[in-house]
Amino acid sequence: MPGQSIWSGTISFILVAIPVQLVKATEPGKVSFRMLHNRDFSPLLRKMFCPEENVIVPPEEIVRGYEIGPDKYAIVTEEELESVSPERSRTIEIVQFINVEDVDPIYYDNPYYLVPSKGGEKAFRLLVEVMRRTGKAGLARLVLSEREYLVVIRSVNDVLLLVTLHYSDEILPYEDILPKATDSNSNEESRIKKIIKAMSAEFNPDKYANEHRKKVAALLEKKAKEKAQVEAPEVPEEEEEGVVDLVAALEESMRKAKENR
Amino acid sequence: MSKKVVDVNGKRLVLSNLEKDLYPSAGFTKAHVLEYYSRISRFILPHLKDRALTLKRFPEGVEKEFFFEKRCPSYRPSWVKTADTFFGEKERMTVCLVNDLDTLIWVANLASLELHVPLARVKFRETPDSMVFDLDPGDEADIVGCARVALILRDLLSSLKLACYVKTSGKKGLHVFVPLNLKEAIFEDTKKFSKAVAEVMQRNYPDLVTAKMSKEQRRGRVFINWSQNDSSKTMICVYSLRARAEPIVSFPLTWNEVESLESEGDPKKFEITHSEAVGRAEKVGDLFGDMILKEQKLPYL
Repeated sequence: MPGQSIWSGTISFILVAIPVQLVKATEPGKVSFRMLHNRDFSPLLRKMFCPEENVIVPPEEIVRGYEIGPDKYAIVTEEELESVSPERSRTIEIVQFINVEDVDPIYYDNPYYLVPSKGGEKAFRLLVEVMRRTGKAGLARLVLSEREYLVVIRSVNDVLLLVTLHYSDEILPYEDILPKATDSNSNEESRIKKIIKAMSAEFNPDKYANEHRKKVAALLEKKAKEKAQVEAPEVPEEEEEGVVDLVAALEESMRKAKENR
Repeated sequence: MSKKVVDVNGKRLVLSNLEKDLYPSAGFTKAHVLEYYSRISRFILPHLKDRALTLKRFPEGVEKEFFFEKRCPSYRPSWVKTADTFFGEKERMTVCLVNDLDTLIWVANLASLELHVPLARVKFRETPDSMVFDLDPGDEADIVGCARVALILRDLLSSLKLACYVKTSGKKGLHVFVPLNLKEAIFEDTKKFSKAVAEVMQRNYPDLVTAKMSKEQRRGRVFINWSQNDSSKTMICVYSLRARAEPIVSFPLTWNEVESLESEGDPKKFEITHSEAVGRAEKVGDLFGDMILKEQKLPYL
C-alpha cells in the first residue's frame, strides 16, 4: 500500500481536467535514529545558538541573511520570499507531449504516483490508456511546497508516474572534470566490447538488495529482543503543523471568547 | 389537465395545473408557487447560477409523495441550460443550471418546490465557494438552541478573521456559511476545517453541541453537521421554499436578528413565510450577497 497523498488537485490539458492525488513512489532505504540524552534518554531537540552572546536564540529573533561578502549579509524577510514564490496552484497543466526517451535520466529527480480522486476514475483510466498506446509522456508544471517543478508524466500499468525534473541550470557540467583526450587503442577497444557483451543481462532490480539496511535491521531486531530498551520520561508532545495548529488556535479563541462572555 | 401558455422573456412556456393546491392546508396553489419564485427571482438566481440543481418534486403537493431528481429531465425545453457532470463516482449525468427566470419558472412548474444546490459550481466541482455548518437540532432541542450555537460559532470564526452569514433552513435548523470564493480550498480542506471547528465546539459546550451524527448523541443537543462540506452533497438554496404545511422559506437573517430571536426564545419567530420573504428581500436587499462576492482564505491549513 503506497503512502498517503501529499497533494491533491487536477491534471489538465486543453479541455480535460481530472481530479487526482499525488502519492510518493519511493521511500529512501534509510534507517533513522533519534538522538537521546544518555542520562535520562529524553529525545533531544536542535536549538539555534548564538556564539557571540552565548545564548539559545528563540525563533522570533531569527532572520534570514544572504551572504554577499565576508561578514556582510542581505536580510530577506518571509514576506519578500513569499512575494516571489509561485502562486499556490491546484493544477498540473500538461503543456506538451514528448517522447520519454528524449529525457536524459540525469534530469530525473523524485518519482510520484498520480492516482484518480473521487469522480475522476473514468477519465483518468482513459488518459492512462491513451498515453500508454501512444507511448507519449506529458510535460507539465507543478507547484509543490512553494516551489515550481517541471515534471514528466507517463503511463505505467494502471497509474501515471510523475517524476520531478531538474532544471537545466541545476545540471553540473562535466567538461571541467574530464581528463585530456588520448589516442584510443583499437585492440583494447575490441577487448572491452567483448567483455561488455559477455556481461550483458536484463536489468532485474530485485536481484540487488540494500545489504547495509538488511544488516542494520537485523541488528535492531536483536537489540529490541534483548533487554537493551530504555524508556524516555513523559513529555508533552510537540505540536505538529496543520490540523493541530488549527485546533490549538480554535481552543485559544474559544478560551478568550468564554472569558468575554 | 389544465394548461396555460405564457411568454417569459420571449420564450414560450406551458404551465400546467395552476390551480392545484400544493400546500393544501395553507391554500397555496401552484400559481402561488410560480408567483413566489418569479417575485424572489432576482434574489435567488445569483445563488443558483452555474450550480447543478437537484429538484425535489411534489407533484401531488406537500402532503403526498415527493421524489428527488438530479438529472435534468429529458423533456426539457431546448433553451434550458445544462451541464455534464458526474453522478456518484462513475456515471455521467446532465444537470439543469437555473441561470435565468425562464428556467426557474419551468422548474417550479415541475412542482419542484425545493431547490437544492451543491457548494461548488458545476465547472469547479472540487473547489467549494463556501464552507457550511449545518446546525441541526436533535430531539428535545430546537432552533433557539441552534441560534445559541450559531452565535458562539460566529464569535469563534470572527476571532479567526472569518466573516460568516446565517440563514434559516426553513425547517428546524440554521445554516452558517463562510464565503471563500477563491477556488483554492478543496472539499477535503473545508471538511477538515469544519470538522475541527465542530469538535472544538463540542469539547467546550458538551451539553449544547455534538459533532456526531448518532441519534442518541443528538438528543437535547445541536448537531453541527460538518460533513455537508462534500462535493456529493447539496444544501437547500437560500430563498427556496420548503415543503411543510405552510410555505416557509429558507431565509437569511442578520446576526442582530439572531441575537434578539435567541433571547426571545420562540421557535415560531424563526419561520419566514413566502410573503414575508418577498417583502423583506425587497426592502433590505440580498443579505446573502456577500456569499457570492466575499473572498476569504481558511487559516491554518
